[in-house]
Amino acid sequence: MALLILLLVINIPVQSIGIQPKDSVGNNPGMLNAENLVRGERLFFGLVYQDNKSINCAGCHNTRESDTLNWNPDALEISRKYLDKTTEDLNRVLLRPSGQKMAQVHKGFQLTTEDIILIKAYMDRFVDIGLKKNKPVITNLFLFIIASVLFLFSITDLIITKIVKKRWINYSVLIVTTIFIINTLVIDAIALGHSKDYAPFQPIKFSHAVHAGQNGTDCIYCHSSAPYSKIAGIPPENVCMNCHLMVRNGTRSGATEIAKIISAFEAKKPIEWIRVYNLPDHVFFSHAQHISVGEVKCQECHGKVEEMNVIKQVGDLSMGWCINCHRTKKINIHNNKFYSEYIDLVEKVKKGVVDSVTVRMVGGTECMKCHY
Amino acid sequence: MKTDRKNPKESENLARGENENTSESNNNRLLDLFEVDFVRQGTSRRDFLKVLGFSFASAAVLASCKRPVLKALPYIIQPPELTPGQALYYASSYYDGHEYSGILVKTRDGRPIKIEGNALCSFNKEGTTARVQASVLSLYDDARLKSPTEDNLPVSWEIIDKKITSELTRINSTGGEIVLLTSSILSPSTAKLINEFGARFKNFKWVQYDAISYSAVLEANSICFGRQVIPDYHFRNTSVVVSINADFLGTWVSPVHFIPDYISRRKPDNEEKDMLLHIHFESGMSLTGANADIRKKIKPSEEKILLIDLYNKIAEKTGGEIFPGVPYREDLSELAGNLIESKGKAIVLSGTNNVDIQIIVNGINLLLGSYTECIDLNNSLNIASGIDSNMENLVNELNNGTVNALIMYNVNPVYDYPDSNKFLAGIKKTELTINMTVSLNETVGRCKYECPVHHYLELWDDSEIIPGQLSLSQPCINPIFDTRSFQDSLLKWTGKSTPYHNYLISNWEKTYYPHSAFSDFRKFWNESLGNGIFSYKVPERNSFNFNKEGLNKVMKSSSNVLSNGYEIIISESVSLGTGLHANNPWLMELPDPISRQCWENVAAVSLTDAKKLGLQMGSLVKIADGLILPAFIQPGQTEGTISVSLGYGHTNSGPVCKNIGVNMYPFVRISERNKMYGFSIDKPDNTLKRKQLALTQEHYSMEGRPIVRETVLSKYKKDPSSGNEFHKEFESTHKTLYPDVKYDGFRWGLSIDLNSCVGCNSCVIACQAENNIPVVGKNEVIRRRIMHWIKIDRYYSDNPDNPLVYFQPLVCQHCDNAPCENVCPVSATNHSSEGLNQMTYNRCVGTKYCINNCPYKVRRFNWYRYTNNKAFDFNTASDLGKMVLNPDVTVRERGVVEKCSLCVQRIQEKKLQAKLENRRLKDYEIKTACMQACPSGAIVFGNLNDRNSKVSRLFTDPRKYALLEELHTLPSVGYLTKIRNDEKLNT
Repeated sequence: MALLILLLVINIPVQSIGIQPKDSVGNNPGMLNAENLVRGERLFFGLVYQDNKSINCAGCHNTRESDTLNWNPDALEISRKYLDKTTEDLNRVLLRPSGQKMAQVHKGFQLTTEDIILIKAYMDRFVDIGLKKNKPVITNLFLFIIASVLFLFSITDLIITKIVKKRWINYSVLIVTTIFIINTLVIDAIALGHSKDYAPFQPIKFSHAVHAGQNGTDCIYCHSSAPYSKIAGIPPENVCMNCHLMVRNGTRSGATEIAKIISAFEAKKPIEWIRVYNLPDHVFFSHAQHISVGEVKCQECHGKVEEMNVIKQVGDLSMGWCINCHRTKKINIHNNKFYSEYIDLVEKVKKGVVDSVTVRMVGGTECMKCHY
Repeated sequence: MKTDRKNPKESENLARGENENTSESNNNRLLDLFEVDFVRQGTSRRDFLKVLGFSFASAAVLASCKRPVLKALPYIIQPPELTPGQALYYASSYYDGHEYSGILVKTRDGRPIKIEGNALCSFNKEGTTARVQASVLSLYDDARLKSPTEDNLPVSWEIIDKKITSELTRINSTGGEIVLLTSSILSPSTAKLINEFGARFKNFKWVQYDAISYSAVLEANSICFGRQVIPDYHFRNTSVVVSINADFLGTWVSPVHFIPDYISRRKPDNEEKDMLLHIHFESGMSLTGANADIRKKIKPSEEKILLIDLYNKIAEKTGGEIFPGVPYREDLSELAGNLIESKGKAIVLSGTNNVDIQIIVNGINLLLGSYTECIDLNNSLNIASGIDSNMENLVNELNNGTVNALIMYNVNPVYDYPDSNKFLAGIKKTELTINMTVSLNETVGRCKYECPVHHYLELWDDSEIIPGQLSLSQPCINPIFDTRSFQDSLLKWTGKSTPYHNYLISNWEKTYYPHSAFSDFRKFWNESLGNGIFSYKVPERNSFNFNKEGLNKVMKSSSNVLSNGYEIIISESVSLGTGLHANNPWLMELPDPISRQCWENVAAVSLTDAKKLGLQMGSLVKIADGLILPAFIQPGQTEGTISVSLGYGHTNSGPVCKNIGVNMYPFVRISERNKMYGFSIDKPDNTLKRKQLALTQEHYSMEGRPIVRETVLSKYKKDPSSGNEFHKEFESTHKTLYPDVKYDGFRWGLSIDLNSCVGCNSCVIACQAENNIPVVGKNEVIRRRIMHWIKIDRYYSDNPDNPLVYFQPLVCQHCDNAPCENVCPVSATNHSSEGLNQMTYNRCVGTKYCINNCPYKVRRFNWYRYTNNKAFDFNTASDLGKMVLNPDVTVRERGVVEKCSLCVQRIQEKKLQAKLENRRLKDYEIKTACMQACPSGAIVFGNLNDRNSKVSRLFTDPRKYALLEELHTLPSVGYLTKIRNDEKLNT
């Protein structure tokens, strides 16, 4: 019964979010009818040929959510930016862009004002409906349900219906599905609450590959409190501006993304970054301990950040993940005078009783090292 | 004394005095639970399928369940002094109009989260009181005033300034009287500003008013020495202290200043093994009485007779003038002899707010030569400067309609002025009334204009507690609400545009910079601000002359008549003080150190009187009209007296304190121009109703077990281990088959000196602030679910009519052989390699086996979720209140056990700091919250593996013992025996 109540509690109906029609669309509400919207869409997708050449806006500006990095702003971002601006503004940017990069890629565009009005009308809809979602692919859950059905079928067949004459088929189906179900359950249960491979899109398409990899910026330059504090620190905007006061154009990103940080700094608004590495509240973790005292490289936990365009959680941040390292990681007790307090341990190392000292030997696997 | 376990609803009924058949209602309630039960209906096949369907559906939900998206907002421009995740300390000072301390404010990411004492401040050193510790929570109080109002409607500062300035100008042009009513002002810069403000008006008066008044001391010194001051009492220079109703360790003048001085003379481990002798006469049981060597009971009306007799006895032997007087009921010649023996090293104190009594006290101290070694008139304490008669005159003037404008700052006369109706009638006759206060109180809403002021952690100020000893206050957070400091308002209304910050700096440049050795003012200012203090030598004033006239007059006037009825003593509460901080849930739930009861004020009656009146614990007793209080049977209470504390009974000071207890201020009387904190009645009435009290300790006997061990000075001199004989005996019986556990590196230990602990409760709040300990409310306290990790147990022994009192701070003992660890089925509590008994909340499943197996009963269970829970509407229920939480300590969920961790977060922090600096840890570097807050230095934490550490040395002291050591739990917390001074006086 308790299980039933638990399940009832868990099974909260998920409310679908309705799309609210927007009061005014663009600057030309008269243009907004179904036909014109389709025409706008066709223009955006390059299905209208002009001088034997099509311009496919959607080729660069995503209309659906993507899990790979596209440096170009997506349709939603553009529509948000130009929602309250006139068609002339869009016209100017599209046909006579000022930015170097945009001038290059938008070269030779031949769009009439009417085309642009139609494109804008189409794009304005994204503000309301957002980018299209990708259809879900066959997931483990689907396989899990099939396996469960098969399992139930074979077990009923074995006991009651007995349709399948060759019993070994049922037995083998039972064995395979049982293993699959248990395996899935165990893996999912362990991963429950972990968020390995979490890689959310950030408000700015900030690439660590460009900054830390290509430009070779040291991690500590931006995450400056990491060697001193428990928190590595997200760089304050003034640190970004140290470079971006001058660097206004990215080789690949153009001016759009960099303009975001500049305008945020000028408007004195913080950037709302999405946290990738989240530890539960009952865990105490100090970057200073690991970086400055333990001399752990950033990459050991965070992976090859300098190769990541979109930052991704590498470890699963489970307790086992932490403890495994604490069990094996060696420390040099002669390097730090603090450890001279461990008289017996120092003696043992001297005498060669232990060849190396791990974190565990100085109490690194005890509860109150991280939980208090 | 013993009461049964009651559920909260039931106790509410009891509180209302209703008697119902509780066991029956209990059963009904239990049955109700089962009424909507599935079990009875049986499970059908359909149900099974439903369950099956649900499990699939929930599996799908679970599989798609995502963790919430958390955002991280960086600074736009990060302040250079700030490292995210690192604490930043600001030196500041605390003054609320009643209590002063030099403090350090710990801020994390811009939020003040903890108050510590400023070790550089010679006034209080590192010690703080519970109220100072709790003051940080008042910053995040939702009952704070959030914007200025006119006729209770919000207005902007511009409009309010314009209106007030024009009205003030208008009143001034007609020569109307403008009165500024403030609490005592410590700040020299503010005082200067007030004088400048007043100078602009033709008819201006500044009245200082204290809810708890020291007017008599001020006036008596004015009469005797021509100086209207409260002298500083140097207990460190004394050998004998005789105090009469002066609770200088708990409430009187400035306990945080007196405790370290007093304790320094109570430690007999000096060469001469000498110790201060403390004799205390009092009516109710106070902290000071509990710590005295000899405590004698006295009725308030006998005080004058005693003092006159004592004066005569001393004068007899020293050749002074003898006045006629009735001899006291006991022979005081031995006491007088002792005082004369220690001439020049003795103090006589009285806490009574009566000028006559204070003049006699001055006379005695003069005979004893206590000035100026022990009582220092030059370095006086500026703690309070209100004169009762001034306030009295003001209220009369208000009622006569002669005052045209009344500006109030940091006062709450509607609550704490004895005749609040008269005051209210007075302000109704005043044209312009302005009230400036931090938080909601009874006076708020009675004035035309409300100009809310900053909390003390949001403002600039200075204070001069002793002439020449200055300290600065600086803002540690941007103002949370639309408030403005009192001084800034005055500057605005003076027509100046300079902020008070600049005014303060320029005043310091003019006034104090010349006294410094600095060549550059910026350097001087930065140094003073960084240290929080600046002191310079004030030129000694001319030696005082004792004016005998006052004394002659007092001695010749008739002494007061003894009453045969009951005398009521109204005293300050150790937890709540004047009642200014009553809306602070930490303080509301802080048990009184003597009665160990909270969430209410009680009428303390003596055992004999309780028997005579048929009173039990919690019996509602009617003392006067409109004064019905639950009785508390207090051992040591003088027969024929009833003690009640102030600070409760608020009607409009916020949700926590609303209608809790009874306001005693209306029963304070003005007599002989001073406020008299007490009155007499014929007989209190037993209403035959009962109320359950929120007692945190009900048993007060040690049942003959050596829990608190004590000795007397004469025995201690012969054998320092006297009183601790059990220790050797138990040690010899400790046998084990297991090998000794060896701690490599660190082994943390805590030593508590029972001889130094005065029981002031400061550590309790310090621990609560440091470790995010929830407030549970009265009903849960009644169910013995108070969450404090450190409690100060109070025991009585000897004669119940006048017992010896013991205080014992009790924390988790961190036993090496811990009984709790063996019984945990999930190993959520286990032992660390540093000797800590670890408690892992995320592993705990809440079986409570550990609680049951702990012989010290120090473990606490989270019966409810106390965070974000409107049923526990205290600080952790609102976002604002949660800002005080320490981010380094987990906020515990429902269903887990918690207990003292020896502030492991502080241990880890300092260890990391040492590692980063490539050095060994220093002794005294790690301080637990209780140790840091303790004004008497009774608690010492350190590494037991280090033979030279202070705590190791204390652990080898012959006075050291472990609590319940016969159980072989091998605690890491040691206690040192208590010593009472039995020499000289053997009455």
